[in-house]
Amino acid sequence: MADENGILPEITDFLYREAELLDDGRYREWMDLLTEDVRYQVPIRVTKERILEGGVSGVVENMFHLDEDRDSLEMRVDRVETGFAWAEDPPSRLRHFITNIRVKEVRETSAGKESEVRSNLLLFRSRWDDPRHTVLSAERRDVLRQVNRDWKLAKRVVILDSATMPTMNISFFF
Amino acid sequence: MHKELKDQMHPILEEMEESLPEGEIPAAIFNDPEIFELEQERVFATSWVYLAHESEIPNPGDYVLRYVVDNPFIVVRDEERRVRALLNVCRHRGMQVCRSEMGNASHFRCPYHGWTYRNDGTLTGVPSQKAAYGDRLDKSRLGLEQIRVEEYNGMIFGTMDPEAPPLEEWLGDIRWYLDLITRRSPEGLEVVGAPQRWVVDVNWKLASENFVGDSYHTLMTHRSMVELGVAPRDARYAMYGEQIHIPGKGHGSMVIGAPPGAKLPPFWGYPEEMLERARTSYPTKEQFDVARETRIMLVTVFPNLSIHNPIRSPHHKYQGAVPMLTFRVWNPIGPGRIEIFSWFLVEKDAPEEFKKLSSWSYLRSFGISGTFEQDDAEIWSLITKGAGTYMGRKHRLNYQMGTHQEPDPDWPGPGVAYPINFTDVNLRSFYSRWLEMMRS
Repeated sequence: MADENGILPEITDFLYREAELLDDGRYREWMDLLTEDVRYQVPIRVTKERILEGGVSGVVENMFHLDEDRDSLEMRVDRVETGFAWAEDPPSRLRHFITNIRVKEVRETSAGKESEVRSNLLLFRSRWDDPRHTVLSAERRDVLRQVNRDWKLAKRVVILDSATMPTMNISFFF
Repeated sequence: MHKELKDQMHPILEEMEESLPEGEIPAAIFNDPEIFELEQERVFATSWVYLAHESEIPNPGDYVLRYVVDNPFIVVRDEERRVRALLNVCRHRGMQVCRSEMGNASHFRCPYHGWTYRNDGTLTGVPSQKAAYGDRLDKSRLGLEQIRVEEYNGMIFGTMDPEAPPLEEWLGDIRWYLDLITRRSPEGLEVVGAPQRWVVDVNWKLASENFVGDSYHTLMTHRSMVELGVAPRDARYAMYGEQIHIPGKGHGSMVIGAPPGAKLPPFWGYPEEMLERARTSYPTKEQFDVARETRIMLVTVFPNLSIHNPIRSPHHKYQGAVPMLTFRVWNPIGPGRIEIFSWFLVEKDAPEEFKKLSSWSYLRSFGISGTFEQDDAEIWSLITKGAGTYMGRKHRLNYQMGTHQEPDPDWPGPGVAYPINFTDVNLRSFYSRWLEMMRS
């Protein structure tokens, strides 16, 4: 993958920093990495026939596991901070493994410089004193935008690798 | 299971015979392999089970894959527009003939030897039939196995029991309450997209009972949303309203209006144009009058279809009300394990902008990531875990709330209504139906 603009190191740094905040449950700081108009979507994935010319099959266009904007993400963060969000209190132990980071396109927009970035995600989740764990795999299709020289997440679409989800709930961020 | 055990009453059921009239239930029914084996035979093989909504398969050839416990069905609309539930098992050697979750097909072809079935289940093609079988193969007897399918207001149910009563009789008076949800509009409902599917270590009955009548958990389980002001602080919200059960059927509903003094828009907060259409769409004036005063409604159709239809909003800062509707099936896949199918539905003729907002109200409160439903899964999982333990299974769980209360003589709908939702009356009715089927 050509990194013509030489921004791969700073993009990588951004994604690693974001993963650290998510792993550490520092959601208020994580919100600072999001643009005001952020969109965050996890479409449902279903088992469908192969697309013969190649391509990702079975991504449902109009129904989601998460379909968020800044206000609804903030509601989820506020919820955790009430101390009564039983699904994450005590918290799950989460670890975001980010690999295969690709800068697809950089463009100038009226809102600032934007970069399309793809990365692969392996998300480990362990809960209670149960020795079993959940692992979720996905590709993240992000749009990062430069705001006052800092990169922020403007859009994330998570392409899941599960149809039936092997997790009791989605009480975390991808 | 040993044959002797099948012929006599299971000891856990025997205990429940004694304890249920006292409002107590042996915890062992919530995580026991033998009980689950009996349930497959006596509950799920004889009930009408929800499979799909008509809007998921509007055109000839449209199909979705659905399950009753682990039995796989292709729910398909054939070329004559008739809805069928075809067992997804080839009559030749038992391979699944369809492996996509949804799509459109005129035929289903087995990938093993190529036996091919029309979308009405008829076996139409057998490769090299003449050379391989001569004239010995009677294709007319080798169509895909089918179960009975019937519809009510666009809701498609199937039963594996050829002797089961007609669906309308099975539903009985819960139809009046299903009408409140499914006949708001003359155009009916549509499923948007596909259901969320996920697996939780929970006994199916804990989910069904919660939606049939457990309003009492709202303030504690969903305390985080109370703190955020998304669910009202006022305890009367959970207590208020009518709880209705259909005697002998196991079905039940909660119909909740605005508590005294609370300012909430009528008719769940649906757009005014929808209220006007409902006036003529509902079968009776009584139903329209009840609907106009309703803000939250839940239904469980025995055994494992639940419906939730509350006034809500897309996030905690949103000014205004945007109701949402979800259907869900708690499909048991083990003694302490379910797969949840959760659908979002909305009236076909609702304004497009409202449809989007309503889907947000749903996704942010219910379903796999819902800020309410997340906590239900946490709690039901750990109840199920405890019910499977040596000590825990000996416990009797308490279902005694409301035994001192009297029914509401003035409620206009059918069934037995209580004028309060802090009661376990619907849960007791659900379990007496379950017990009746389990001992038969």
